[in-house]
Amino acid sequence: MPEIALTAPMARIRRIPGVAMMLIALVAGFAATSPGFLTVPNLSNVLVQSTVLLLLALPMTLIIMTEGLDLSMGAVLTLTSLVVALVTLATGSVLLGLLAACAVGTLFGIMNGWLVAILGIPPFVATLGTLGMAQGLSLIVSDGQSVVGMPVAIQKIYSGMLAAVPLPILMAIAAYAAFHLLLYYTRLGTFVFALGGNRDALRFAGVKVERMLIVVYAIGGAMAGLAGVLMTARMNAGHPTAGLGLEFDAIAAVAVGGTSFERGNGWLLGTLLGVLTVGVLRNGLNLLAIPSSVQVSCVGVLVIMALFFDGLRSRT
Amino acid sequence: MTDTTKILPGRAGGLHISADVLQLAYRLLAALLICVLLSLLTDSFLSLNNILNVLRQASLMFFVAAGLTLVVLTAGLDLSIGANVGLTACLAGTVIHVTGSPTLGVLVGIGVGAVIGLANGIMVTALRIPSFIATYGMLWILQGVAYWYMAGETIHGFPPAFRQLGSGYFLGLPIPVYLLVIFLAIGTVLAQRTTWGQEIYAIGANPVAARLSGIPVAARLLLVYTVSGTMAGLASIIFLARLNSAEADIGESLTLPAIASVLIGGTSLFGGVGTVFGTFIGALILTLVLNGMNLLQISASWQPLVTGAIVILAVWLDRMTRRRAF
Amino acid sequence: MKIIASALALGLAGVASIPAARADGETIAIFTKNQTNPYFQTVRVGADVAAKSLNAKTLHYIPTKPDSIPEQLSQIEDVIVKKPSAIVFIPVDYKAMVPGAEKINAAGIPMVNVTDRSAGGKFSAFVGADDYSLGLETARHLLKTLGGKGKIVIIEGVKGSLTNVDRVRGFNDALKENSGAKLVASQPANYQRLAALQVMENLMQSNSEIDGVLAANDAMAVGAIEALDGANRKALVVGINGTKEAIDAIKSGKMLASGDYNGFVQGCLGTMIAIRDLRKQPIVSDIVLAPTVITKDNYKPYDVALETRACPTWEEGSKMGIKK
Repeated sequence: MPEIALTAPMARIRRIPGVAMMLIALVAGFAATSPGFLTVPNLSNVLVQSTVLLLLALPMTLIIMTEGLDLSMGAVLTLTSLVVALVTLATGSVLLGLLAACAVGTLFGIMNGWLVAILGIPPFVATLGTLGMAQGLSLIVSDGQSVVGMPVAIQKIYSGMLAAVPLPILMAIAAYAAFHLLLYYTRLGTFVFALGGNRDALRFAGVKVERMLIVVYAIGGAMAGLAGVLMTARMNAGHPTAGLGLEFDAIAAVAVGGTSFERGNGWLLGTLLGVLTVGVLRNGLNLLAIPSSVQVSCVGVLVIMALFFDGLRSRT
Repeated sequence: MTDTTKILPGRAGGLHISADVLQLAYRLLAALLICVLLSLLTDSFLSLNNILNVLRQASLMFFVAAGLTLVVLTAGLDLSIGANVGLTACLAGTVIHVTGSPTLGVLVGIGVGAVIGLANGIMVTALRIPSFIATYGMLWILQGVAYWYMAGETIHGFPPAFRQLGSGYFLGLPIPVYLLVIFLAIGTVLAQRTTWGQEIYAIGANPVAARLSGIPVAARLLLVYTVSGTMAGLASIIFLARLNSAEADIGESLTLPAIASVLIGGTSLFGGVGTVFGTFIGALILTLVLNGMNLLQISASWQPLVTGAIVILAVWLDRMTRRRAF
Repeated sequence: MKIIASALALGLAGVASIPAARADGETIAIFTKNQTNPYFQTVRVGADVAAKSLNAKTLHYIPTKPDSIPEQLSQIEDVIVKKPSAIVFIPVDYKAMVPGAEKINAAGIPMVNVTDRSAGGKFSAFVGADDYSLGLETARHLLKTLGGKGKIVIIEGVKGSLTNVDRVRGFNDALKENSGAKLVASQPANYQRLAALQVMENLMQSNSEIDGVLAANDAMAVGAIEALDGANRKALVVGINGTKEAIDAIKSGKMLASGDYNGFVQGCLGTMIAIRDLRKQPIVSDIVLAPTVITKDNYKPYDVALETRACPTWEEGSKMGIKK
């Protein structure tokens, strides 16, 4: 019965993922109502603005596929944005700042992985704890103030261009390619897929489950570090509250993109589409000068609708 | 289901303490230790006023977290409670101002909270949206409505009789503490002594088995989310009374501490394990620590760090001790 | 599903066409920090009133996450695409928003800086209040009322915020002028009422005698008053902002005074300058409003609903700055 139904036109539409339809609908709607929307500068803005979120959402996809969650990403991003600012200020070297930021991020990621894999603490709780630690450290290290005065070169990371393409977009492409390879062509990737199914079976098969989980969370931390560098480059400052709450945006983007919390199936392209959908929505609403309070509600509606459509689809 | 509120004589004739009671005992001990530590570190801790303050603040945190406990027991999550409290407070506050009747305001507060809870429940059961996402989306929607409705203004100035609910005393104890005891009693009885409660635990422990054994899972889930929303609505009334004002963002800082209270109190995110009383102790522990930090003039910047560490510690200890419970 | 998607698009189109277009008005984009602090609402209302009286249009940009730096940066980038005639700018953070201000400069859109003086970027004017002298004068008033002595508590605002740094500095300097006054505690409550209430309750535990409370804004002052009421203790409390609630508290005697941080006037003047600049009319490039302390004696002109207030005329407004 299902096979026959699938060839009908309605069924073919049903095969297009909910997120893709939402993205198309939003782009069409905004293009029709905002003259400035479908221009190169604006679309380029949307892509660049979405880079930070993408850098967080990519590893978040993997983590969610392992039936986990990383609530600390926003706070770790904030901390690493301060680290890069402080280290660059102290040493005068942007490169050292970058390395320090990624190191701190990876450290937090390893801590997350250790808490989850070795101590067996539920990921929600473990990462909630590290969120507190990272947030606390951010406030203490900066004393609540912005950190400024870095060499101007650091801004180039965000505003620079290569062959007329903004650097952040190139970074996003590189990150996406790297994660695609990681997920679909490496042992770690196979593990991530398998973990969503049956953790004990993997352990019996001799896979070092704990070690691989730690690696997955460590990657998340490292990416948060990279995102922190980008954030500091954008603000030309480190700030102790800059990235707080971004992990929820990342989780929403991943969920909107179709990766399920329960079944362990993940879709990297879906995450990309989810990130773009959020970015397009915010940009379009800004262009239409929709009141901020309405914007806030729109994000909530978007998230619910995307999952509602997915739920409908999975029942056919 | 095991009766978790009594100490049962064991088969071998010795005392057999159920796991849940043991967990509660550990936590009470922890709270006690913190109290001892604080009274040694600072003179101002053990004053009557301070203890009453701590009880009052813990009660408010508990009201927000109590309904949440039931949701978490079913292995779900309600991220919208903070925003629920915020919006409901604004609406109830308006009603009290416009009609002059606190009773009407209370009814509106409870009603709105319940409706929000019901909406969450429908999303989770009928629309099959994971509770994390559904309540997260609801959070944004409620926040947006609150911002739009209040337009940056505040509602302030409520009748003194009404304000007693939040800031008043009765026989020397803050009134919220009496409400706390009432809700603790109702919550515990509901969870431990009724079939509904047993079913909620069962759903959390094993949803498939629960459905197969005839429990109307969808109906119970709807109930649980509605209760969570209603409790948030009730909490908003008490916040209104205590703050004597309503602003759009009251709820923003409430969600994470509420979740922390539930977790510190021993309720597991996987469902099926935990108690409402545990959430109260969790709220108490959190409040004690924050109070201590304030009294010791420790910079507020340390608070998120300390809160995070306590949550991890509590959950880790929980795992360690539960393994040896039997 | 496609039907719903198209309905969404149509709905958005409908909402977009709702604001009545002024046929010949300039468009001024107003950037404020958040939707929750009533102060910024007064700025927005002031801006709207000024624009309406001058036949121009305003668009408001507020981050959906309060005080979010990346959001305000994104909003700036989006606004540049829209090309408003001018921008009235309150930076979410006076240091971290500098790249945003520079972007607006690069796009050639004229800008007026309001409230928080940005650490960089070119502006045609700045309109603000002097937080330092506001803190100083308000604290001086409290100390004078106390006779120059007593145990004082400071409740601070958001740690890194420029307004907070200056106001608290003003408080402290006023305290230094009075040798009989002793500062027993200084704690932050993030400009929020509930936090201030709890901080005050806790401070009352460790300090059995508190004679005066210097709160860096009205919301916190009111929170402190609630705490005092609840514990049946009395102390003189001052705040800063001059919000309606503060005026009511001053009227009823619960609050001693409030420093007038006049968001409404700042919004008015900032917008007026932006429009006048576009119309090539003369402007004043720096208006720092003189500190006024609102007390029981002079609160009447402030006790008026926000919507009914009118902006000062340009003749009045241009003279409101302190002569340096």
